[in-house]
Amino acid sequence: MTDESTPSDATPDAASSGFEPDGGATTSAATDVTLYEDSILSVRDLDAGYGDLQILTDVDMDVNDEEYVTIVGPNGAGKSTVMKSVFGLTSHMGGTVQFETNDITTMRPEDIIHLGLGYVPQNDNVFGTLTVRENLEMGAYILEDVPQDSLNEVFERFPILEERQTQKAGTLSGGQQQMLAMGRALMLDPELLLLDEPSAGLAPDLVAEMFDKIDEINDAGTAILMVEQNAKEALRRCDRGYVLVDGKNRYEDEGTTLLNDPQVRQDFLGG
Amino acid sequence: MGASESVTRGRELIVEKPMTAALVFIGVVLLLDMLRQLLTGELAISGMLGLIKDGLMRGLVIGLAGIGLSMTYSILNFANFAHGDYITAGAFSGWSVTYLIAGGFGAEANIGSLALVGAGGSVFGGALGVNIVNTPLAVLAGLIVAGSLTIGLALFIDRFMFKPIRDAGGIPLLITSIGVAFALRYLILFVFDSSTRGTTDAGTVPDIRPLVLDGTVPLTLHDGFLVVVAGGLMLGVHFLLQRTKLGKAMRAMSDDESLARITGIPTERVIRSTWIIGGGLTGIAGYMFVLWKGTLSWNDGWLLLLLIFAAVILGGIGSVYGAILGGLVIGLTASTAVIWIPSGFARAAAFVVMILVLVARPQGLFSGRSTA
Repeated sequence: MTDESTPSDATPDAASSGFEPDGGATTSAATDVTLYEDSILSVRDLDAGYGDLQILTDVDMDVNDEEYVTIVGPNGAGKSTVMKSVFGLTSHMGGTVQFETNDITTMRPEDIIHLGLGYVPQNDNVFGTLTVRENLEMGAYILEDVPQDSLNEVFERFPILEERQTQKAGTLSGGQQQMLAMGRALMLDPELLLLDEPSAGLAPDLVAEMFDKIDEINDAGTAILMVEQNAKEALRRCDRGYVLVDGKNRYEDEGTTLLNDPQVRQDFLGG
Repeated sequence: MGASESVTRGRELIVEKPMTAALVFIGVVLLLDMLRQLLTGELAISGMLGLIKDGLMRGLVIGLAGIGLSMTYSILNFANFAHGDYITAGAFSGWSVTYLIAGGFGAEANIGSLALVGAGGSVFGGALGVNIVNTPLAVLAGLIVAGSLTIGLALFIDRFMFKPIRDAGGIPLLITSIGVAFALRYLILFVFDSSTRGTTDAGTVPDIRPLVLDGTVPLTLHDGFLVVVAGGLMLGVHFLLQRTKLGKAMRAMSDDESLARITGIPTERVIRSTWIIGGGLTGIAGYMFVLWKGTLSWNDGWLLLLLIFAAVILGGIGSVYGAILGGLVIGLTASTAVIWIPSGFARAAAFVVMILVLVARPQGLFSGRSTA
């Protein structure tokens, strides 16, 4: 778990004075669950999309410190768009995104990464022509030197990466590439990791392994915000879940509660 | 493998890959014809070695200049047609400095004529005794200025021409670069005039003439200097790409730009570094080319650009190592082609080879994409 001294040379450390995340002040339009006493990411009334096409409408979302949150929902609900919007990769159309004490609503990804927020996109998430080790080094590009501790930690967590460190990333299997992409994001020891469908395209036996790895990362103190197609498994494992439909919040509750909610089961989890 | 088996395999090749088979056939015919010429004495072995040496030297220049073109292609995703005129700009700026120093800043000739690299035949490089032995300081200073000025030029043009339309895609950038090429070329023509000048005192460049069977193959110190400079810079680029943080970031960016941005790589800074490295190499290539061949003209770079494109495409556009290898192949082809065809067609031969190689291996020698 990082302390406050994560790479912050380029951090526009605005509003560092007064902000104390307090549960009472947050207003969630979707539900009355107020569990954000320790919120590190708060998305409020977010409207966003691509070009002129609006995908998200009034989305609210919170992630508490060290929390594990999943977003589920039907195809085209805008799940990945939430992630991309948080990371500054979409057109912002309204609302705010706050990460810890920083307003990151209109910040660019290369600046956001300095704040302790990591993002693992869904597809093509490794540099195929670079070696495994070089991929990890790129993860720590914003630091002066490659942090040896983080590198060792990543190798400990994903032993296969250490074994294959001189191999070109493009030659790895899908699961190994996914691990490499996560490892690269972990090089900066982020406070919060955004994972976009980490189990996509993996063989069934690897899916469980992938979820175990994510549990381990979360147990080590990194908060997780994850989009998953594999909704049941994701809800079973997470602390809290959001159901997104048509770019709007539909349900929000503890993962297991959503999993057992007859309405959610029938509408979104296939009965 | 028995004879019948080879025949069968040969037949399979003809059926399955007729183009490749035809290429192999043409290659064999040319080789046999060369052997015939060597045996009948039409072509001296020393003469052939001389052509090969000449081709390798030319290839080094093409390869060195091609690195910059390939780098900017892989990282910025556009073919920069102004690249040839960066070469010319580098050559003129460097040689202007060399003339000024060799001419004692006006001591030996009119300072204006020196600065204009003897425009209108007012000063001759031979008269100033310019070569690596007589005027090493003037040559080194010229080399450095050629590199630095081209870096400045590349950065300036990028800032005011290419950067504003960076997100418009490859075609607008390409068309803009053609405009930049014309503007630069005619600006150089306007300032330095259209004469082709002799730049070096070629007669006094030390050389060795090793005897090879039936004659001598002259190797001058300028040949050696070109090998050292070009080889050294190519090794430097290899080291940069494989070992340094910047080089790895450049490769990462050519691999996937949006992922690079997500990873926190400052893409604009990497682009600037790419122009600095590519521009420097290009300017130096221009200067070295002129030092080696001993003449300088306003469209040297433009004429060379076609061969550089051929080399870069042949090597697999976007690959730095491909540019080097492609440069050597194109250089060798352009100079050894005179064994079979009139010298006026030698440049065309380079393109024929490029096309033929691409027919057999469409992705280029190094299969594109990576800067690696």
